[in-house]
Amino acid sequence: MSTKKSKLTTSLIVRTIAAWGIALMLFFPLIFMGITAFKTELQAIAVPSLWAFEPTLENFHVVNERSDYMQFAWNSVVTSVVSTVLGLLIAAPAAYSMAFSPTKGTNGLLLWMLSTKFMPAVGALLPIYIIFQQFGLLDTKTALVIIFTMMNLPIMVWMLYTYFKDIPHEILEAARMDGASVWQEFRHVLLPLGIGGLASTGLLCLVLAWNEAFWALNLGAAEAGTLATMMVSYSSPEGLFWAKLSAASLMAIAPIVVIGWFSQKQLVQGLTFGAVK
Amino acid sequence: MSYLELKNVDKYYGDVHAIKGVNLTINKGEFIVFVGPSGCGKSTLLRMIAGLEEINDGDLVLDGNEITHQAPSKRDLAMVFQSYALYPHMTVEENMSFALRIKGEDQSVIDQKVAKAAETLNLTPYLKRTPKELSGGQRQRVAIGRAIVRSPKVFLFDEPLSNLDAALRGQTRVEIAELHRDLNATSIYVTHDQVEAMTLADRVVVLQGGVIEQVGTPMELYEAPANKFVAQFIGQPQMNLLSASYFSGISPEAVDVGIRPEHFTIVEAGQGAISGQVELVEALGNETLIHVCLEGAGEKLIVRQYEQPTVKVRDTVSINYDVSHLHQFDVKGEAIR
Ligand SMILES: Nc1ncnc2c1ncn2[C@@H]1O[C@H](COP(=O)(O)OP(=O)(O)O)[C@@H](O)[C@H]1O
Ligand SMILES: [Mg+2]
Repeated sequence: MSTKKSKLTTSLIVRTIAAWGIALMLFFPLIFMGITAFKTELQAIAVPSLWAFEPTLENFHVVNERSDYMQFAWNSVVTSVVSTVLGLLIAAPAAYSMAFSPTKGTNGLLLWMLSTKFMPAVGALLPIYIIFQQFGLLDTKTALVIIFTMMNLPIMVWMLYTYFKDIPHEILEAARMDGASVWQEFRHVLLPLGIGGLASTGLLCLVLAWNEAFWALNLGAAEAGTLATMMVSYSSPEGLFWAKLSAASLMAIAPIVVIGWFSQKQLVQGLTFGAVK
Repeated sequence: MSYLELKNVDKYYGDVHAIKGVNLTINKGEFIVFVGPSGCGKSTLLRMIAGLEEINDGDLVLDGNEITHQAPSKRDLAMVFQSYALYPHMTVEENMSFALRIKGEDQSVIDQKVAKAAETLNLTPYLKRTPKELSGGQRQRVAIGRAIVRSPKVFLFDEPLSNLDAALRGQTRVEIAELHRDLNATSIYVTHDQVEAMTLADRVVVLQGGVIEQVGTPMELYEAPANKFVAQFIGQPQMNLLSASYFSGISPEAVDVGIRPEHFTIVEAGQGAISGQVELVEALGNETLIHVCLEGAGEKLIVRQYEQPTVKVRDTVSINYDVSHLHQFDVKGEAIR
């Protein structure tokens, strides 16, 4: 009995240390970035790294002056929120019909949709660039909204499908027997029961759209640039400015980190596709 | 007066022909029970009436209107599901009033109807609770309450008692019978339990393999089963089936002869028509079931006595039967009348 118990505690200790080690390793670049943002450029490139220094807010002032932080932030908010709402509006009915009136082709369709995510985005860059150019959509928020929506749709449909599948079909049938129209069934039964799934899905896709850099850079560099593109602009042309890059990055990720912090539970649920309840 | 009529309806699930050309007429106020073994198509037929399963062929007529392809929400039928299917995010009161609220009834009318139904079903103290704060029996009553506040054209029940324990099942069965007596509403009730079928039904519909085997009052089914399947499905213990060779003076076409256990009597040795050895004696108090293995081919039968056991295991007994209660079946299993 006692040996079993001590064995358990040893393995628990080992696992705890391992978990902390991995978490720190993953988190280290972020901490380092956070610290660097408050150094001067000279302190930032000092080797070995300085850990004790007088923090300065200068980098943030510079970043804010040189690039219009508010505009980038606004672009980020608009593109990620609109694409998420639009995506949910399209994905929810799709997931509803797949979950509650499946046909022989439903599984294949779901897999096919997910498989489009296996293709590298750059593979579709040229055609999409040309299409958007033809329609005069380059460097517009509309372009980014469209591309973010399409990019997230497979994940949204898949996630909502797994959530909806957990709702007993008979509850919806009961609503139908009670005289509810499709809209009333959705509004009064599916929505309240599926709100957790919709929230998780929406949050995850909001984060994915916010963090998206490839399409944002290629389709929306100047006018429609999001915070991701602002961050990148500090990395190359005029040489490396570690401290300012760090400050810019911190400002770019701050809003989403705050949102993420307050909605951890939903996000974890979302990332595990509803497997953890 | 036909109220609900199924005309030659068919249902296919892919290649599976689940309901095979069913014809049925139901009168207003009747309590109809669909009974049959698991997988025979009872739920499918009920759900076709509800509109939850598409009718692939044939017609469905309700109260003079053809509703074969009408949406379930438009049919004004209420269904009590096996799983109850209560709205988990609503209170008992909200569950019961949902249909009326959807319909846009006045709040005062809704309150009055819900209060009345809750009172009938002893749910008044629980109106503010959610389904997960209720016991199985209470949930079941909420499901029934949700149906009765609507005063629908027809009540549909899909095995509503099968998730209850035995004691509660018996009690709720009686309550449903009383409810039907009071409301006199047309009801269709699906069950695989023949006791429920016999006790609740005005008429029983026996289904097998997507086909109606017989429709009749419980007593008609018991006393004049149309075929071997119905004969053996209705009645507990099952009707005894013996080969015709044990009997004399019966139809020359008879292949099997059925006799219910209570129509056999144990008589003094040598006095009976059949004899065999007692294999098992089940004394149940109010009755005794005697399992007998016949001499010769080794066929088995059960004799029911409404008295204390008079024989013991391995006794050789002589058995007589009541000639007026023989059921003769031809080679296809159909009853010979
Ligand atoms: N959704 C379905 N898809 C395919 N086959 C089904 C479906 N529902 C029922 N069936 C088949 O139809 C037949 C009747 O089923 P059901 O009506 O549920 O039987 P019961 O309620 O009498 O037990 C069964 O053979 C069953 O396998
Ligand atoms: Mg069934």
